[in-house]
Amino acid sequence: MATQLAVDSHARYFRICLSGLPHQMTSLDAARMTFVQLCLVGLTALGKLDEVCSAEEKKQMIEWIYGQQVLGDGTELSAAYCGFRGGSLFGPHDLCDYVAANSANVAGTYSALCALLLLGDDLSRVDRPAIVEALRCLQQDSGCFAPHPGTTERDPRFIYCACAISAILGDWSGVDKDAAVKYIVSCCNPDGGMTQAPFQESHGGHLYCCVASLALMGRLDAIPDQQRTLKWALQRQNCGYQGRVNKPADSCYSFWVGAAVELLGGHDLVDAAAVSAFLVQCETRFGGIAKFPDEFPDPLHAALGVVGFAFCNPDGFPRMSPTLLLPESLVDRLDIKAARRSNNGE
Amino acid sequence: MVRIVDSELDQEDLPSPLPMSEQEEWSDVVPIPQDDGRHPVCPIAYKDDYREMTDYFRAIMAAGEVSQRAFDLAGRVIDANAAHYTAWVYRKKLLLDLGLDISSELDWVSRISERHIKNYQLWHHRGALLELLLDPKGIADKTQDERMQIPAIRRELQFVGEVIDKDSKNFHAWSHRQFVVRLYGIWDQEMAYVETQINQDVRNNSAWNQRYFVLTANQPADVFVLTDDVADKEIAYVMDKIKLAPNNESPWSYIVGLLMRHAPNMLYERLLPSINALAAADEYALAVSSTPFFWSALVDIYEEQAKALAGAEQQQAEVMAFASEACESLATKYDPIRAKYWEYRKQTLKTASAC
Repeated sequence: MATQLAVDSHARYFRICLSGLPHQMTSLDAARMTFVQLCLVGLTALGKLDEVCSAEEKKQMIEWIYGQQVLGDGTELSAAYCGFRGGSLFGPHDLCDYVAANSANVAGTYSALCALLLLGDDLSRVDRPAIVEALRCLQQDSGCFAPHPGTTERDPRFIYCACAISAILGDWSGVDKDAAVKYIVSCCNPDGGMTQAPFQESHGGHLYCCVASLALMGRLDAIPDQQRTLKWALQRQNCGYQGRVNKPADSCYSFWVGAAVELLGGHDLVDAAAVSAFLVQCETRFGGIAKFPDEFPDPLHAALGVVGFAFCNPDGFPRMSPTLLLPESLVDRLDIKAARRSNNGE
Repeated sequence: MVRIVDSELDQEDLPSPLPMSEQEEWSDVVPIPQDDGRHPVCPIAYKDDYREMTDYFRAIMAAGEVSQRAFDLAGRVIDANAAHYTAWVYRKKLLLDLGLDISSELDWVSRISERHIKNYQLWHHRGALLELLLDPKGIADKTQDERMQIPAIRRELQFVGEVIDKDSKNFHAWSHRQFVVRLYGIWDQEMAYVETQINQDVRNNSAWNQRYFVLTANQPADVFVLTDDVADKEIAYVMDKIKLAPNNESPWSYIVGLLMRHAPNMLYERLLPSINALAAADEYALAVSSTPFFWSALVDIYEEQAKALAGAEQQQAEVMAFASEACESLATKYDPIRAKYWEYRKQTLKTASAC
C-alpha cells in the first residue's frame, strides 16, 4: 500500500497556525506574510482549504493582507518601498516622516500575491504600477535583486520573488531579464549545483530559486549543462532530500530540490517511495511536519513537506505548480503562461 | 530556516526592570501600537516586553529620530527579532548619522551573533561595517603579511573562524569568509586554512568548495587556466582524501567539477589513470569500487572521452560501452535509490553515441 499522509491532522495544524502562533515564533514576525502564504499553500495542497476556511474567513484574511500593502504616492523617493510588508509590525502607513519605517519587501509582495490568489481574490486592489516600479528600483547592476532599499543583501531568493511577481501580474517591465539570467548563470557551480553568489557552495534552496526564475523567464536553456544540474539535484536524495552535499535530509528540500527536479524534467527519475517514507517520518503526531524526524513542526516545513509529498504521489492531491506554489488549475485559469509545465520542457 | 529564539539580552543591554512607559527617558514619546486590523492572520502571542519595545520603536522610527536612544532601541529590537529588516536599515543609518564608532558596532554584532548566527541580515550588516571600517584601497600597497597584521582583518578572520569552529558548515560564515578574502586580497593563507578544515572533517563540503574558490577566484573572471602541474597536484590531493573515506561525495565532485569546467581532456588523460590505479590497489580496491561516486565519476569521464573520439568510431563505441556498464552497475548494485536515473542516463548515452 502506498504511503499515506495524515491529511486531516495537517489541515488542523495549518488552521491552528492561521489562528495564532506562540511567542517562541516571534522571530517570524517580519515574515508573517510568508507564513500566512505557507499555511494556505499547505491547505490548498491537501485539498482542504475550502473545508477549513469559510468564505467569511477568507474575506477577513484578504483584508488583513491588503492591510499590509504600501501604496505608491507617486514620488520617486518612495517608489522602491512599495509592495507588501512582511507583516504588521512596521508602519504606520500614513504617519512616517522616515520613509524606510514602512518598507515593503519583495518576499512580502510575492507571498501576499500568492496568498490573495489562493484565497480567490482577483488582485483588483493591488497597486500594480507601484510594485513594478519598485522591482525596477531594486534590481542591481549585477542583475541580482535587493529585497528592499537600504540593505546589501542580494541573492537569487529575491530574483525568484521578482520573477514570480512579474509572472503573476503579467508585467515584466520591472525586470531586466537578460541581466537576471546572467547573474543566475554566474551562480552555476562546477559541481552542477547552484549557489547564492559566484564561487559559493551549491545549495538546494538557491538551486530552486535559480531554476524556477529561469523557468518563469522561459530561459531554462541558459543553464550551461542541464544534465549535470539535474544530476546534482537527484544526487541530493539519500532517503528524503538533503540541501547540500554531506548534510542530513531535511523535509523542506522535498520541495526546493523536488520542484527543481520537476522543472528539469526529472519527475520520473525520483525514488518517490523513499521521499514519501522520509516525510512520513517527519510528521508529528498532532499534525504538522518537522524539519527532521522527532522534532517540532513549523508551517514552512509542514507546507513544503506536503507539496513535496504531493509531487511524489500526484494521484491523491491537487496538482501544484513547481514554479509558483499555486495549484496548476489556478495558474491555467489566470493564464500565467510561464508557470505551466507544458512550457517547461515536459 | 525557522529558528525559535527566546530573546535573551546582553548583560549590558539589559533593560531596566521598569516598563518603558514608566521610564523618564521615554516619557516624551507616544508609542504607536501595532495596527493588526480587526481579524489578524497568524498573530503571534508576543511577550509583553517585545510588544512594548516595538510600540515605542514604531513611534521613533516613524519620526526618523536620530539619537543614541533610538540606536540602542533598534539594537534591542534586532536582538529580540533579528529578521526585523527595517530595524537593521535604521540602525545602520543612525550609526552613520550619529558618527558612532564602527569598531564598537562590530563588537556588538559579535555579541549578539550567537543567538542569530543563521540570520542573513546580521552577516550583511557585518560586511557593510567592515567596508566602512577599512577601505581596501587604503591597503593596496601592503604585502599579504602586512595585511594579515591589520587589526580589522585579524579580528574579522578570527570571528569567522570561531563561527566555523562551532559549526563547520555554516553557509553564511563561509560566504562571509570569501567576502573578506576577496575584499582585502588575502589569498596566501587561505589554502592552508582550507586544508586544516578538510583535515578536521574530510566530508565538509563547504571546505571543499572553498578550495575551488581559492584555486580559481584569485584573478579576473575567465583568466584562470588550469595547468598540468596544478591539475596533477589537485588529483594527488583528492586521491589521498578518497583513501581516507572512499564513500565521500565531496572530493569526487570537486575534482570532476574542476576538470570538467577548466580542462575536460584531463578527465580521461590524468584523472582516469589515477582512479583506476586506486581501484586496483589491494588496500583500496574493495572500498573504492563499491562506492557509487567512483562509478558515477567513470560515467562522466567516459562520456567526455567519447565526445573527444568523434570520428574514431570503434574506439568511441568501446568507451561508450564502458560508460554503459558503469551505469548498469550503478542502477543494479551501487546506487539503487537512483536506479531510474542511471537507466535513463544509459539510454541517453546510447543516443549520444548514435549521433
